[in-house]
Amino acid sequence: MSSDRRASPSDVVRPRNVGAPIKRTEDPRLLTGNGEYTADRKPDRPLHLAFLRSGQPHARIVRIDAAAARQAPGVVAVFTAEDIADDFKPVVPFSRMPNYYATPILPLASGKVRYVGEAVVAVIATSRYLAEDALDLIDVDYEPLGALARAELALADNAPLLHEAAGTNVLIAREFRKGDVTADLAAATVRVAGRFEMTRKAPLAMEPRSYAAEYDKRRDAITLYTSSNIPGIVRDAVSESLGLSGHCMRVVAPDVGGSFGSKGSLYPEELLICIAARKLRRSVKWTADRLEDVSSSSQAFAEIVDAEMGFDANGIATSLQADVIGDVGAYSIYPWTCGLEPVQVVSFLPGPYKIGSYRGAVRGVATCKPPTGPYRGVGRPISTFVAERLMDLGAAALGIDPLEIRRRNLVRAEEFPYRIASGIIWDKAGFIECLDAAAEAAGYDRLRKEQAEARKQGRLFGIGIASYAELTGIGSRIAVAPGMPINTGSETAKITIDSTGAITAAFGVASHGQGLETTLAQIVADDLGARFEDVRVIQGDSDEVPMSTGTYASRSAVLGGGAAKHASKILREKIKRVASHLLEANADDIEVTEGKAVVLGTDRAVSFKQIAKAVYSDMKTLPVEAREELSATYTYDPVNGTTAAATHIAAVEIDPATCFVRILKFVVAEDCGRIINPMIVDGQVHGGVAQGIGAALFEELIYDEDGQLLTASLVDYMIPSAPEVPVMDVVHVESESAVAGGFRGMGEGGTIGAPAAIANAIADALSPLGIGVSILPMTPERIFRLMEQAQIKRKADE
Amino acid sequence: MKPAQFEYVSPSTIDAAIAALVASNGEGKVLAGGQSLLPLLNFRMARPAVLVDLNGIEGLSYIEDRGDRIAIGALARHRELEHSPLIASKLPVMSAAMRHVAHLAIRNRGTIGGSLSHADPAAELPMLATFYEAEISVQGPSGRRTIAAGNFFVDALTNCLEPEEIVVEVEFPVLKQDGWAFEEVARRFGDFALASIAVSVRRGPASLEAARVAVMGVADTPRRLREAEDELVAMALDDTTPDRFAEIVVSLVAPNDDLHASADYRKHLLAQLARRALRTALAMKG
Repeated sequence: MSSDRRASPSDVVRPRNVGAPIKRTEDPRLLTGNGEYTADRKPDRPLHLAFLRSGQPHARIVRIDAAAARQAPGVVAVFTAEDIADDFKPVVPFSRMPNYYATPILPLASGKVRYVGEAVVAVIATSRYLAEDALDLIDVDYEPLGALARAELALADNAPLLHEAAGTNVLIAREFRKGDVTADLAAATVRVAGRFEMTRKAPLAMEPRSYAAEYDKRRDAITLYTSSNIPGIVRDAVSESLGLSGHCMRVVAPDVGGSFGSKGSLYPEELLICIAARKLRRSVKWTADRLEDVSSSSQAFAEIVDAEMGFDANGIATSLQADVIGDVGAYSIYPWTCGLEPVQVVSFLPGPYKIGSYRGAVRGVATCKPPTGPYRGVGRPISTFVAERLMDLGAAALGIDPLEIRRRNLVRAEEFPYRIASGIIWDKAGFIECLDAAAEAAGYDRLRKEQAEARKQGRLFGIGIASYAELTGIGSRIAVAPGMPINTGSETAKITIDSTGAITAAFGVASHGQGLETTLAQIVADDLGARFEDVRVIQGDSDEVPMSTGTYASRSAVLGGGAAKHASKILREKIKRVASHLLEANADDIEVTEGKAVVLGTDRAVSFKQIAKAVYSDMKTLPVEAREELSATYTYDPVNGTTAAATHIAAVEIDPATCFVRILKFVVAEDCGRIINPMIVDGQVHGGVAQGIGAALFEELIYDEDGQLLTASLVDYMIPSAPEVPVMDVVHVESESAVAGGFRGMGEGGTIGAPAAIANAIADALSPLGIGVSILPMTPERIFRLMEQAQIKRKADE
Repeated sequence: MKPAQFEYVSPSTIDAAIAALVASNGEGKVLAGGQSLLPLLNFRMARPAVLVDLNGIEGLSYIEDRGDRIAIGALARHRELEHSPLIASKLPVMSAAMRHVAHLAIRNRGTIGGSLSHADPAAELPMLATFYEAEISVQGPSGRRTIAAGNFFVDALTNCLEPEEIVVEVEFPVLKQDGWAFEEVARRFGDFALASIAVSVRRGPASLEAARVAVMGVADTPRRLREAEDELVAMALDDTTPDRFAEIVVSLVAPNDDLHASADYRKHLLAQLARRALRTALAMKG
C-alpha cells in the first residue's frame, strides 16, 4: 500500500502534534479494564454507605426510627439530618441574579423531603450488603404535603410551596429585552408561533456517581476520590462547609466514566461521605446503583417554550419573543444555580441569527423532582430546537427553501463581532461556511430531488437543518452561570521537568472522557519542544494546582490548552537559557525540539535529561545563579470566550406502519477553530449527536402525578443503542479563534444541533399530512397519535 | 442495590433440587440463566431464603429430534435454539423468533425453562410455546406431569407451577405447514416486543386447511387466537384476505396502555404485523 502524502522536510525536523489524529493515551488502560475509577479505590478497611431515600414527593418528616438499624449486624453508624446538624454549614448556590432564591444544600433531608429519591438517612456498615439490609429496618413517618408534579401546576395560586422561605415556587425569573417586539411583530409579513417542549432527560453517564472519602487519621485529613468533573469546586465547597483547610481536604477525580454534566455539581452525598469519614475516623465508600443515579443525579431540559417569530417579505426574521417555563426540580444546584439551564434558553434563543427585536422571559419553577443541572448543551438544545422550528415554519409560510432562509438570516463573516438581541457577542466564526459545507456534504439539492421522488410514492421522507452557535472557553468577563460568584474564567497549568528529565504537566481541568491527557500533551509537546510520549498529564487533582474549577462548558481545550501553551513557552525559555550555558551558544540561536535543545544549523544538542542533570544534580556544570528550577506555572484567562458554530442536516424516513423514524443521513459541519486532534473532535461530535438522537427520538424521564419516577431503569428509560445511531459525516470548518492556539470548545455541540435537525426532518417528512413537531422526543407513540389526529381531521374536512 | 441474604445451593440432580425447594418451605427460588431473576434479587423485589441453582445438573440442556416433536431441555440456552439447524428446519417460526430475544449477552445465558417460568407476556419463548401448543414437562415432589402451554401462563409474570415444581423439558410439535411468518416490533432491536405475531398456514385447494396464530405484547399472557384461525380457514383467499385477517386479529385483543405504548398504538402495530405476516406466509412456497 502506498501513500501519496509524503512528509515534508519540516515535518521530519519537527513533527507537529497539534492537528494530528494521535491515538488517545488513556485508551490502552481504559479499554483493557485497567482504568482506576473511584469504585476501584481500596482504602484500608473501608466502610460502606447506603442511603434510605424518600419514596414521598413532598412530605414533612414526622419521625425517623432507626433504633433497629443501629443494632443491625455490621452497622457502624446511622445518620439522620439531626445527627450531623453540627458537622457542616449548608452550601448555598449563591447568585447575584435578582428574583432568585438560593435553596441551601444539605447532606440529608431536614424537616421535609422534596422529591422521590432524596436522601433521608445514611447507614454506614462494614459492607454495602449489610448497609442495605439495615435500610429495611428504618421507619420514617411522613406527613404528605402535596406533590408538585409539573411546573405549570406549581405556578397555581393555591399550589403548596416547596420552599416556604422563598414565598413562591418560582425560584428564578428573568427577562431579556431589545427593541420593540410588539411593534415589529405587528409589522411582520409573516408571524409563526408554537408551544414547544423538551421533556426531562437523564444525562446517564456509564459510570454512576461514586465517592470514596479516604480518611488520614494522622492529620485529620480527607482525600475525597469523586467521579466529578469539578473536583476543584468540590474541594472549595466541602472545605468551607466542613471547616477543613485546603491542605486537609484534597479532592481527586480519577478515571471518570462520563458525566455529560451530571457529575458537574456538588452533591449532598459528597458532603455526607466526608462528614461520615471525619466523624467515624474511617474511610467510607459509596457508588450509586443505576436506580439511584437516574433518580438522584441532576437532570436535563424540562422546559416549555411559547415562542413567536416575525419575518418580513424577504424572509428576514425581524422579531422574536418567548416565554419559557423551566421545571427546575426541587433544589437549586451548587454552584450553577437552577437558573443555568432555563435562563440559557432565553439568552441563546436568537442563536446565530440577526433578529432585530427580542423579548425572552423565563421562570424556573420548583417541582418535586431531582434538580435540573448542567447537561451537554445546557439550554441550547432547546433554544436551537425552538428557533430552528420557527425558521422552518417561517420558510414554509413564505415559500422560501429552509437552507436559503438561514443563509439570509445568519450573521455573515464581515459582521463579526456581532451582538445578538439577547446581548451575547459572537466573535468571528464560520456560520455561513458551516451552512454551506453541510449542504454540500449532505448533497442538499440531490436530497430534495430524492424527497420529491419519495413523496410521489407516498413515502414520508424529510430533510431537516439546524444551525446554532454557542459560547465556549468562557473567560472571566462572562459568568458561566448567571450571577455566579465563582471565577470560571481561568485555568492553571504547571509544567515541570524533574531531575530525570521527565515532563509532568499538571492541570486543574478534569477529563471524564474528553481525552485531555492526550490533547493537552499534544499542545505541551509542540510548545515546549518535547516528544509527545515524554509528556505526562496529571489532571483532576486539587493538590496539583492552587485553584481550579474543572471541565465543563466546553472550556478545557481553550482554557487548559491556553494555560498549557503559555506555561510551555515560559519553560522553553528556561531550557534555552540553560542550554545556552551548556552549548556555549546564544539562547536566541537555540531551538527546542523533540526533547532536545539544538544550536540552529549545527548538530550540537543537549537532551532534556542532560539539561535536568545540569540544573539539579551537577554541582559544577552551571553557575549557581543559572540553576533555575525547570518548572513553569501559568494561569490563563481568555477574558471573553470563543464562539463555536455548526450546521446539522438530517434526512429521515418515517415508516407509517410502525411510526418509527429512520435516520438516513446525518451531516455535521462544525467550526471548532484549530483542531488539536481530529479523531477526538470526530468522537465528540459522534457522541454528542448520539445523545441528540436520544433527546430527539428516545429519552424521556416520566414522573407521574404523584411525583413517582416511572422510567427508573434502562428497560423503561430508552437510550439509542448502536443500531439507532447512523454513520455520520463530519466536516470541519477550521477557522482559528482569537484565543491562544486558535481553539474553540466543541464538547457539547453535537447535542445542541441534532435534536433540532431531526425535529425539522420529521416535521418535513410529515408535512404532507399537515403535521408539525413541537415536542421531543418524537416517539413512535407520539407520531402515531399525530397521524391519527391528522387522519381524523382530514376525514372531518372531507 | 444488593440482594438480601440467601442461602445458595447447587444440586447435581433434579431430585436434589426439588428436595432443596421442599426444604425451603416455600422460600426457595430456582436459578437457571438468571437474566430476569438476578435483577429482581438486586432490587430486592424477590427475597428467597434459598437459591437453587440448576446449572450444575447434567443432562438438562439438549435439543432432541423425536420425529413429529422436538424436545428441548430446560437449560438449553437461547443462543443454542437460535443456532440449532434442527430447530431451523423443524421449528422455523421459533428459529426466526430467537434472534429477537433480547441481546447477545442475555441469549448466551438465558434458558428456555427460565423464560417460560418467568412468564413475561412480551417475551418470545412463552409466545412460541403458546403458538406451537408445546407440552411443558415439570417435576415436583410427587413426580412428573405435563402441562399444555395454553394452561401454563396464568397472568403477567405468573405461571401455574406449584412452588416446588421445576420445568425440565418442553416438547414442541412440528407443524404441518406450507407457509409461516414471525413479525415483531420492538422499540430497539432486542427490546421487549410492543407487538408480535406468529402465523402458520396449510393450504387447501381453494382455501386454507389449517392456520395457527399467536400474538404477544398485547395481553397479560401470550395468546393463541383460535377464532382468527377458524375465520382464516373459513375465508376465501383473495387480495383482501390479509386486511380482513388484520381486522379480525385486532378485534380479538384488548391491550392496556402502558409506558411504552398506548393500547391504540399496539393495536395499530398488531394490525400492520398481522397483514404483513399473513402475506408472507401465503406467499411462501411450501
